[in-house]
Amino acid sequence: MKGRIRLPSPRGTFRVWQRNATIFRKFWKTALGPNLFEPLLYLAALGLGLGAFIQEEGIQGQSYPQYIAPGLLASNAMFAASFESTFNTFVKLKIDRVYEAVITTPVNAEDVVAGEYLWAGTRAALYGTGFLAVLTALGFIFSPDALLVSSFWALLIPPLLLLVGVMFSVMGTLFTSLIGRIDLYAYYFTLVVTPLFLFSGIFFPVDDFPAPIPQIAWFTPLYHAVNACRELASGPSIGVLVDVGWMVVFTAALALVPIYFMRRRLIS
Amino acid sequence: MDTETSERLRTGQREATLEARGLRKSYAGGFEAVKGIDFRVYEGECFGFLGPNGAGKTSTMRMIYGGAEPTGGELTVVGLDIRRDERNVKRRIGVVPQENNLDEDLTVRENLLVYARYFDLPRKLAQARADELLEFVQLTDKRGAEVEQLSGGMKRRLLIARALVNDPDLVVLDEPTTGLDPQARHLVWEKLRELTGRGKTLALTTHYMEEAARLCDRLVIMEGGKVVSEGSPRSLIEQHVSPQVLEFRADRGSLDRLLPVVEETADAVENREEEVLVYTAAADALLEKVEASGIPIEHTVRRQAGLEDVFLRLTGRSLTD
Ligand SMILES: Nc1ncnc2c1ncn2[C@@H]1O[C@H](COP(=O)(O)OP(=O)(O)O)[C@@H](O)[C@H]1O
Ligand SMILES: [Mg+2]
Repeated sequence: MKGRIRLPSPRGTFRVWQRNATIFRKFWKTALGPNLFEPLLYLAALGLGLGAFIQEEGIQGQSYPQYIAPGLLASNAMFAASFESTFNTFVKLKIDRVYEAVITTPVNAEDVVAGEYLWAGTRAALYGTGFLAVLTALGFIFSPDALLVSSFWALLIPPLLLLVGVMFSVMGTLFTSLIGRIDLYAYYFTLVVTPLFLFSGIFFPVDDFPAPIPQIAWFTPLYHAVNACRELASGPSIGVLVDVGWMVVFTAALALVPIYFMRRRLIS
Repeated sequence: MDTETSERLRTGQREATLEARGLRKSYAGGFEAVKGIDFRVYEGECFGFLGPNGAGKTSTMRMIYGGAEPTGGELTVVGLDIRRDERNVKRRIGVVPQENNLDEDLTVRENLLVYARYFDLPRKLAQARADELLEFVQLTDKRGAEVEQLSGGMKRRLLIARALVNDPDLVVLDEPTTGLDPQARHLVWEKLRELTGRGKTLALTTHYMEEAARLCDRLVIMEGGKVVSEGSPRSLIEQHVSPQVLEFRADRGSLDRLLPVVEETADAVENREEEVLVYTAAADALLEKVEASGIPIEHTVRRQAGLEDVFLRLTGRSLTD
């Protein structure tokens, strides 16, 4: 029995998702503000500030704000899902012991983890939708001839961000399932999240770097999320399927590992 | 009527709601907290696990509700094998854990509603049951309060209400009154007695012998991961100790002189650091004899024997040590 990998049940997964949604309904208004404001800060400081110096050429035929805006959508989803699956999950696991109570009901430990994946993805998608709406509006207001979001394919960005959120939730939950102290998250954010944020092609194209930088980037998750968002924002090529496929395979391959470790933490 | 049922009726056997045979639990690292225990809890009964801290009570409870996996033996809960039918077992039991784990992000009433969803209760039924249970545990006027605003006793009562949301066949309570003041404890006892009055089956742990004596129809006494005795509170007392206890307190020298005097006639003598406990059916005669001996005794207490004494006789130590 010990060590057997268990698959989550859809019903239990939904119940855990639903618990989080019930609580989120109470505070979403206060939570949404900072989550929209932060990417706008980046857009203003880098897009307009730094962008002023590279205004002439732009990047890959796009103005600098146009270039970085979709990447910020992807990184915003990464941050939302990473906070959810690290600090928030840790509190529910060790401090408030929410999971301990849930697993005495017909909802099992594996359902708890899957429900949290799905919730982190949902939250990433919700924030991302808000940010996407702001970007679209800003484009129409300030640069109608170089819209920040210029394609109807952008309607697929929210479901894409759901996938991005689930992917980063799996990674964050894996780290959570292995650590015993909350201060260790500093390592996760400094050594994983921040480097991904800086070197995944949000602010400059990594593909133009000499080998092996582009090859390394190809094996990291945010790189594909940024690519896919950028393509959907301005009209995709067939290459977007590779990025989405990469994320699906990576997420699926890793998803059962945190489930295994979390179950062992919850059931002695 | 099937043959099994008629057989049971003929032999006067009742249905076991909870049954363990040779149940064991070793934790990672090899420590064995439960060392092969047997018990059988019948439908409608309140069954107690009495023992000091570290006896293995919580480990046993956790195995019943799926918080720990047994490492040996058999465990059948509401007629189902816990190893094979975990989810269905959990569907039919209610759990009050040792440590409060109410959902702090939800209000009092929401705690019950969200919990009801884990059992797939329809919304209307969940609402009706939540209100009914809040009434039962006397928290109706706290229904909209945040959990952190509740006192310890209220939190315990809310945990009890939460454990009843799915109308369980068996309620498992791990130290339901530990840490409560006497008033709050009495209220919890009252609620638990109401539950047994309605025919609910309860399995509870405690290290208060008074609690076990008041609530339990039958109990096991646990110590060091083993069951050291089993029976109804009264039969345990009758079986293991004489009806009356005399406690003598004095300086060590006087107590040492007292020992040979009482040992002659007492059923049993417990020689402790600052007192000597004497178990006897003839307390008056024994007291006279001690007075006649002229040994200076600072303080004498005469009382009825209780489960605490049973525990002391069986293990040589006190429940609350
Ligand atoms: N998760 C665990 N890992 C290792 N040892 C444990 C664990 N839980 C309990 N124990 C040990 O098992 C013994 C019995 O504990 P427990 O079942 O909590 O007893 P009780 O509830 O009667 O106080 C104790 O010595 C305790 O330290
Ligand atoms: Mg305990």
